Amino acid sequence: MKKSNIFWLFAFASFAFTILVIASLAFLFWQQLPPTDRALVVRLARQYIGYIFSAAVFLLAGLGFGLDWLFRLYILPLDKLAEETRLIHSVNPSHRIHLEGSRDIVRLVDIINEAADQYETLNNRLNSEIQRARAEADEEKNILAAVMAELPEGVLICNTEGQILLYNKRARRYLIGEIGSLESSDVSPGRFIGLGRSVFGVIDKHLIVHALDEIARKLKCEDTDIASYFVTMGADNRLLRVEAAPLLDHHRRFTGFILIFHDITLQMESGSQLNALLRSLGRGTRASLASIRAAIEAIIEYPKMDSGQLQKFEEIIHGETINIGRIIDEATSTHFGSLRSYWPLTQMNARDMLAATAKKAAETLNLEIQTEDVGEDLWLKVDSYAIISALTYVQKRLAQETGSRRLAYKMIREGRFVCFDITWEGKPIKPDTLRNWEDQVVTVNSQSLSSTLKEIIEQHAAEIWSHAYKDSRKAYLRLLLPVAESAENGRIRNLTILPKSRPEFFDFDLFSQPGQRPELDHRLLSELAYTVFDTETTGLNPQGGDEILSIGAVRIVNNRILHEECFDQLIDPRRQIPEESIRIHGILPEMVSGQPPIEKTLPSFHRFTEDTILVAHNAAFDMRMLQLKENLSGVQFSNPVLDTMLLSAAVQPGQKNHDMEGIAARLGISIVGRHTALGDALVTAEIFLKLVPLLEKQGITTLRQARTASRKTYYARLKY
Amino acid sequence: MGNKILIVDDEPSIIVPLQFLMEQNGYETMVAFSGEEAMETITSNPPDLILLDIMLPIIDGFEVCQRVRERPEWNHIRIIMITAMGSEANIAKGLALGADAYIAKPFSNAAVVEKVKELLQQKDEKK
Repeated sequence: MKKSNIFWLFAFASFAFTILVIASLAFLFWQQLPPTDRALVVRLARQYIGYIFSAAVFLLAGLGFGLDWLFRLYILPLDKLAEETRLIHSVNPSHRIHLEGSRDIVRLVDIINEAADQYETLNNRLNSEIQRARAEADEEKNILAAVMAELPEGVLICNTEGQILLYNKRARRYLIGEIGSLESSDVSPGRFIGLGRSVFGVIDKHLIVHALDEIARKLKCEDTDIASYFVTMGADNRLLRVEAAPLLDHHRRFTGFILIFHDITLQMESGSQLNALLRSLGRGTRASLASIRAAIEAIIEYPKMDSGQLQKFEEIIHGETINIGRIIDEATSTHFGSLRSYWPLTQMNARDMLAATAKKAAETLNLEIQTEDVGEDLWLKVDSYAIISALTYVQKRLAQETGSRRLAYKMIREGRFVCFDITWEGKPIKPDTLRNWEDQVVTVNSQSLSSTLKEIIEQHAAEIWSHAYKDSRKAYLRLLLPVAESAENGRIRNLTILPKSRPEFFDFDLFSQPGQRPELDHRLLSELAYTVFDTETTGLNPQGGDEILSIGAVRIVNNRILHEECFDQLIDPRRQIPEESIRIHGILPEMVSGQPPIEKTLPSFHRFTEDTILVAHNAAFDMRMLQLKENLSGVQFSNPVLDTMLLSAAVQPGQKNHDMEGIAARLGISIVGRHTALGDALVTAEIFLKLVPLLEKQGITTLRQARTASRKTYYARLKY
Repeated sequence: MGNKILIVDDEPSIIVPLQFLMEQNGYETMVAFSGEEAMETITSNPPDLILLDIMLPIIDGFEVCQRVRERPEWNHIRIIMITAMGSEANIAKGLALGADAYIAKPFSNAAVVEKVKELLQQKDEKK
């Protein structure tokens, strides 16, 4: 019950009791009096009724004021004091209490704040010790994580149930494309990969079962190669070759399996391109060659044929040679690009390449390098280590050959190429000298690459030559590199102005969600997996036609926010975005144009939230927005729902402010990215994780208890 | 007297028709089957134009072109690169090293004759 209600109940009871005592005393007194005295009392009472009434009113008013004073200065502050003290020692040691109350209460607050200062200092010291110890432990873990992340293969480790225990970025990219991107999920709609999720959501169960059976057989036969191999389709039409290997414990018992993914798309593509080229060349040229051969053999065999016949044969030969030329032209122009030997190249800014080459030449060769700014934003596709090493090697030879220690770099664009010129005062390098350099293995500082200069140049579809500048004493060595497509621009968000929080919505009944399951109800809050989400919308009226503009979500598994597993999707609302809402979320019409509509996004988001509890701040609003799209999208969000606003009200009933900023400030959470769906979802997730221990302190440990506590809160009883 | 044209290619089957074609158009022809042979011919009897294949053994067409352009007294020699390689980087390299034009194999006889005439005419105008 609310504290003020308790007060008024208490006040009423006090008044009633006082009146009852006075009335009882008056009755007993009345019974003792003889009839003459009773008449006197009645007469006196009638005569002085005004005084008696006033005395009664003053007595009751005095009692009321006394109680109110006691309540405001002692009872209410004590209650808040208890809440805020719990806040200090449980989640936010830097929180300090500011209360108005009696002198005794203020003194108590000062003492608690002083104790909090000491507690915070102690806590900080303890935390820094823990941090230090954890950092040391994390270092080794990070090395492993970095190695995993940078592995050229995708790696995914599962337990015997097929639950994912570990995966690296490349596995995620291979299997689902970019996280939260619906472009990739067009191919594999709504496939998600994440810790604790089932691997069968991304790879056909039969394939894995088959592989595990094969592994079991090999283990039984004590085969030396215990891996099993299969091919599957990944995201974006990738063809993946998967190597499955078992994980055994020290008793050689099967405890899980590891899947290693190799992308063989390009390999397969170039193979099939080569087949296609050979087929088209064979088919086209055979016919023409047959005609030419027949005509020529006829001419040789019958040298005396008449001139008319000879002319016909000549026309055939001429026509067919043109035809063969055309076939070769067509075949090479279609297949040439894909038949070039594949070498993994990455995009690099020309300016960066210039700077990196200059730095390396200065450091390793002690050369004096002058660079001229590129002037424009140029991108190259290079194997940066190989190409910079090659350029360093070339400069080493150049310095030896010309004796020049001062070189200048110039980079200019010429059509579809970038000319990287290394210039010096003097004569150009002779072609046979350059040819000799090209045939040598690239060696810098006695470290050799496995390729010759010529091979590196061929891998980059580049050319190299040396020449003299016209009308100048300078010569140059030019590396001609193809220009890459310009780098993709990141999404641009406009300036966001923070408004007040969205009004609380309660027209969605969070507590009667169809997905409540008894087995979940009794699980501990700290054990469950959650999807914490937020939506940005065109306005605050779900029924009035406002639409979702973006959904951001992040998962919590084992009390840890999985920052790598987030859902972040802009949505085309197919309606105008009001100016006032743009000021809040900064999402402009051009940012959502071309983005998927809600009916395409929700099925994917639905898969993302599978088997998790939904958490949102002011969840009723977001759930209402999702519920209104159930028919259109064909998916229903029936997961249990928790609301951080209601949970905060449950653990801190004395606090009036339960908006996101207020809670975050109390719990010592810094807000970043407010009013982006993903940013808000992340803040909500942090709030939720700090609320869980506070709930536990109040004996709220299970999902069911959390839902009951939410329902009881003052806010939960509001409906509008 | 007609202009002198040097045809450089390691494939006789292409030299024969090219030689025939040039002679039919009134040009005096010389032939070379390698880069070295081409340099010798140019030194002893500088031509007005070279039909130069890129893919030659040892000294390739790029190098021949470059060596020619290194000598100011040979500045008047027009060079047409003829190749089956045909990549854009190749063309860019050939032109940067001083070739005047570029023709890809297979070519039409008419296109070669036209290009030769055009370059020799430009040369005559410069005189």
